[in-house]
Formats: sequence, structure tokens, C-alpha cells
Amino acid sequence: MTGLFNTRLKRHLKEMFKYLRLVFNDHFVFALLIMLGGLGLAYSNALKTLPRLPWWGAPTVIVVLIAILQLGSLATFLKDADVVFLMAKEGGMTDYLRYAKRYSLGLSAVVQVLGVFVLLPFIQVTVGLSGVAILVLTVTQLLLKDSWLEIDRLAKFRGFPGWQTNRFVWRLVIPTIILISGLYGTEWLALVLAVLQAGLLRVQGRHTRTQPLNWWAAIKTENNRMMRIYRFFNLFTTVPMLKGEVKRRRYLDFLLTRIKKTHSNAYLYLYSRGLIRSGEFSGLYFRLTLIGMVLLYFVHGTWLPIALAALFIYLIGFQLIPFYWQFDDIVFTHLYPIDDRQKAASFKKILATLLTVTSGLMLIVVAVVNFNWSVIAITAIVEAIEVIGISGYYLPLRLRKNR
Amino acid sequence: MTLKVTKVVGGYSQIPVLKEVTFDIKNGELVGLIGLNGAGKSTTINHIIGLLTPFKGQIEINGVTLAKDHDAYKKQIAYIPETPILYQELTLQEHLEMTMMAYDLEPNQAWEKAHRLLKMFRLDNKLDWFPDNFSKGMKQKVMIVCAFITDAPLFIIDEPFLGLDPIAVHDLLDLIEEQKHRGASVLMSTHVLDTAEKYCDRFVLLHDGQVKTEGSLPELRAALPDAGESLDDIYMSMTKAAQQ
Repeated sequence: MTGLFNTRLKRHLKEMFKYLRLVFNDHFVFALLIMLGGLGLAYSNALKTLPRLPWWGAPTVIVVLIAILQLGSLATFLKDADVVFLMAKEGGMTDYLRYAKRYSLGLSAVVQVLGVFVLLPFIQVTVGLSGVAILVLTVTQLLLKDSWLEIDRLAKFRGFPGWQTNRFVWRLVIPTIILISGLYGTEWLALVLAVLQAGLLRVQGRHTRTQPLNWWAAIKTENNRMMRIYRFFNLFTTVPMLKGEVKRRRYLDFLLTRIKKTHSNAYLYLYSRGLIRSGEFSGLYFRLTLIGMVLLYFVHGTWLPIALAALFIYLIGFQLIPFYWQFDDIVFTHLYPIDDRQKAASFKKILATLLTVTSGLMLIVVAVVNFNWSVIAITAIVEAIEVIGISGYYLPLRLRKNR
Repeated sequence: MTLKVTKVVGGYSQIPVLKEVTFDIKNGELVGLIGLNGAGKSTTINHIIGLLTPFKGQIEINGVTLAKDHDAYKKQIAYIPETPILYQELTLQEHLEMTMMAYDLEPNQAWEKAHRLLKMFRLDNKLDWFPDNFSKGMKQKVMIVCAFITDAPLFIIDEPFLGLDPIAVHDLLDLIEEQKHRGASVLMSTHVLDTAEKYCDRFVLLHDGQVKTEGSLPELRAALPDAGESLDDIYMSMTKAAQQ
């Protein structure tokens, strides 16, 4: 089972590095360095203005430490097929999950230490702890993280009563109590309590070898964890593994009922439902429209808002066009006695409607921020030309090229 | 004559999987397409439903080819795939509506049929669910309902019995019988030979991309006198002979 975990870990790290290379390209690293520098400067300036030992010092430190504690979950690398292929190896999963925990603990220990390190000057100014006390506190924090991950590991098995794996209690309430005891009482008390908690969980988990695994829950948790990672990478590059979740979104049904159920509207019917209920494209549309509106709110002048609005409409239109092929792997779309021209016409209608809505919203923001008739008029004209251009001329061109 | 497949050579890439496949289905006939895994059953079906274009040969449905009139050709086919294929984003009701819109069915009549079928397959209380989350058998039932609300003259059914409960198998066979009486033709590929033997009017036995034998059960018995009585026996002896 060690071998299996190590192979999967290797494959996972390879994949992560591939994406990290794409995320941390030269421009991004440069921007990040500047941002970190700025933040560091602001932090050190803020420290100078802080009062010595205020009453809110300890509570703030506790809240921040608890927040840092929640970073990094148990990476198990379980796959959907494991429920079948590893079924006979269920006894070995205890070891497998131990290795998983060891890896996750190593990774999150770095995060915890870094977090405490950044918080260090703040603790010294507002709480006034000695060096030894801070060291003890760091060890306590690591022990708390160990228990945090142990709860995750135990939760993979069936047969524990609910309270024994209650995440709210073990991850939030008890760590908070322990940290309070450390910052208001003595740091040694916190250390002892943290050791006790970790020990208690070890005792609790000693029979996991004979306990049945909760395969579905474990696999689902891991899939969700990977989806979170992929979703982050998806902000920078396209991630093929990201399969969108479908949500019913009943509250948007009023938009759908306007479409008449006729033969010529078949694709309009399909595209509109697909867009509203799948996360991928509607999320993209919603995010870009919102970001565009926020940016426009902060931008003043004559030409800049116009250029910005034009840019965002182009970006949205450009990224929505692949939705045309969304249903192509469903064999029935090839069997329907419907002309491809009708499909294209339906898609054009959808695209034009979405871009018009975005244009309208952006125009409102532009009008509110720069109350100047000529700017408003020119924005409206540019937007109208662009919407017509993208849906009427660019879209058919792309579709013809991709056929 | 509903379906006429004439000397079709075809496949997925340049290498032909089908070698001059020829058979036909008459009005009101249920024809079983029988063959081992990889014999070319699905390839044949993919050619008939128009997902693949034959390298050579011709496929006609009631005299219409795909090249002659795309929409008229496709309108005549109702297809039930081997693995259920559903829209992730559509509810059961919307799948039915999508089918009605795509095939331009009169909504009231189509819903009347749909309600009867939904009740038959005990899906009538799940209209607002996403069938993508159903079990394999229930997904298969959704495919059956969608196919049978159309008035297509040709039904193509790929391995329909796997995953269906025994009641549903009988209901499906009854539905096929009904369509035959209406004059529709059915092409059904299957491995369930004893069911096929009981219900099919004729058989097309495919092996290695070729039609080995074709005909009704008595005709097959006459063609292979030593093979045995049942379709199973005939089929086994035919494949054994082909492998030698």
C-alpha cells in the first residue's frame, strides 16, 4: 500500500508542478513580488502604530491561528475506481491513510510554521510573549494540526459515533479552548492539552484496521478537494479535469419559460438550460461581467471606460463561443432532424442576448460614474457595434473554421 | 421495405470494419442483429444512424438516403443506445420536451403517449429530476420513453435488455410488438439469444464484419442442418466454424 500511495503522490506532484509552472509565469511572479513587498511594508508600518498590549491582542491572535489551522486538508488521492479495485485491500487502507496523513502533515506543517512566523512580530507587540513561549505555541499549533488531520483520517472509517468525528467540535471548539488556555493562562497548559488531544485521538483510532472504510464519502471528499485545486488553476489556465457541477437553479426558471417549445427553438431550449444550470460557462459569464462592472466603477475619463467595456464584451464573447460545441458528444444532437443552420441561429441568439445584457449593465455603471452624455452615447454605440460584430460576423466565421 | 443496407464497407478510420454488409428490414419486422463483441454490430448501427459515412455501398430508409435528404432521413429513426446518453443539465420532463421539439411532434399527443410510458416504467413521479443521476436501468428506461414517443418508422435498439428489470423487459417487448403492428420496423442488436429467438422475425448473424447468414429461424436451420435446434446452437456452431 505504501507503493501505491507513493506512485500516486509522485503523479500528483508532477501534475501540480505542471500547473504551477503555468500559474507562476514571469509576469505573475513579478506582480506577486511587488504585491508581497507592498503588503510587507504596510504590515511593518501598521505594527509601528499599534498600542502596546491592547485588550484585543490575544483574541485577534487566537482567531488568526484558528484560521491558519484550517488550511490544508488530508490528501488521500483516492479515485472513483478504488471502491471496486481496492475493495479486497480494505485492511491495508489504514496504512495507506497513515502515509496520506504523514504527507499532508508535512505539507501543512510548513504552512503553519510560516503563518506563525508572519504573525510573530504582531504577537510580540500585542501579547508580549517571550521567545520560549512562542516556540511552545508553535509546537502546540503543529499538534493541533496533527489532530485536525487525524479527525479527517478517522472520518474515513465507519463505526465511530458522530461526536467522535464531529469536525466542528474537534477542529474549531477544542482548538479555540486550548489556545485560550495558552494565551490567557500559560503556554505550557496549552501544550499539555494539545498532547492530550492528540493522544486521545490515537487511542480512538487504534482499531481502524478492522473497521470498514466509508468509501463513497472518502472518495467524494477527495474529489471535492481536487476540484478546489483545479478551480484555482482554472483561473489561470484551462483545466480539462474540471467537470462542471449541474445545479437545478429553479429561481431562474422564469427566464426559461419565455422560450416557446417549437421545432425551431429546440437548440435555444437546450442551450439556455445548459448555460443556466452548468457551472462552467455561467460562472465565467457572471464573473467576467461582475469584474468588468467593478473595474468600470473605479475608472474615470473619456476613452478608458469605453475601451474597458469593449474589452470585456470581447473577452466574454470570445470565451462563450466554445459552448456551441458543448453537446456534441451527445449522440442525439447528431440524430435530430434539425439543420445545423438552426443550431447556429439559436446559439447566435443566446450569445447576442448575453452580450447585450452585459453591455447594458456596463453602460449603467459608466453612466453612474461619468455622468457625461457624450461618453455614455459613445459607449452605447461602441457596445452595440461590438455585439453585432461578434454575434453576426465573428461567430459564423469561427463556426465555419471549426467545421 | 423500410431499411435497405447494400454492400456497405465502412469503419472508423481507413481500415474497414464492415466488409460488404448487406441486409434489409421490411415494414413491421423485428430483425435481430447477432454477433460477438467486436463483430461489427455497433459499427453497423453507427452507419445506419448516420454517425459514420460508408466508404462504399448505400443505406436507404424508405427510399431516402442521408445524402439525398438529411432531415427526412433522420426523422425516420428512433435510436436507443447501448449505454444511456443523457443531457446532464436537463430534467426528465425537459428530455421529453427536447425530443418533441427536435422531432417536431404535436405536444398534446406526444405527452399522452409519454404519460402512458412513464407510468409503465414507473417514472411518472420523477419528471422534475435529473435523469443523469438515475441508475443504469432507469436511465435506459428514459431512453426507451424518449424513443417510443416518436412515430419513427425505424427503431434502432442497441442491446436493450441489460440493466432492465424483468417487468421492464416484458414491457419493452410489448412496445416493440405494438410498433410492429403499426408498421414500424425494428433493428435490435443483442446477446440475449433466447429472448431474440422468441421475438425476432429474422436474424442477421455478423461475424468479423461480414454477414455470415441471414433469415428466419427455420431458414437458418435449413442452411446449417447439423448445427442444432436453437438460435444459441446455430450461433455457436457458426462462430466455431468461422474461427477454424
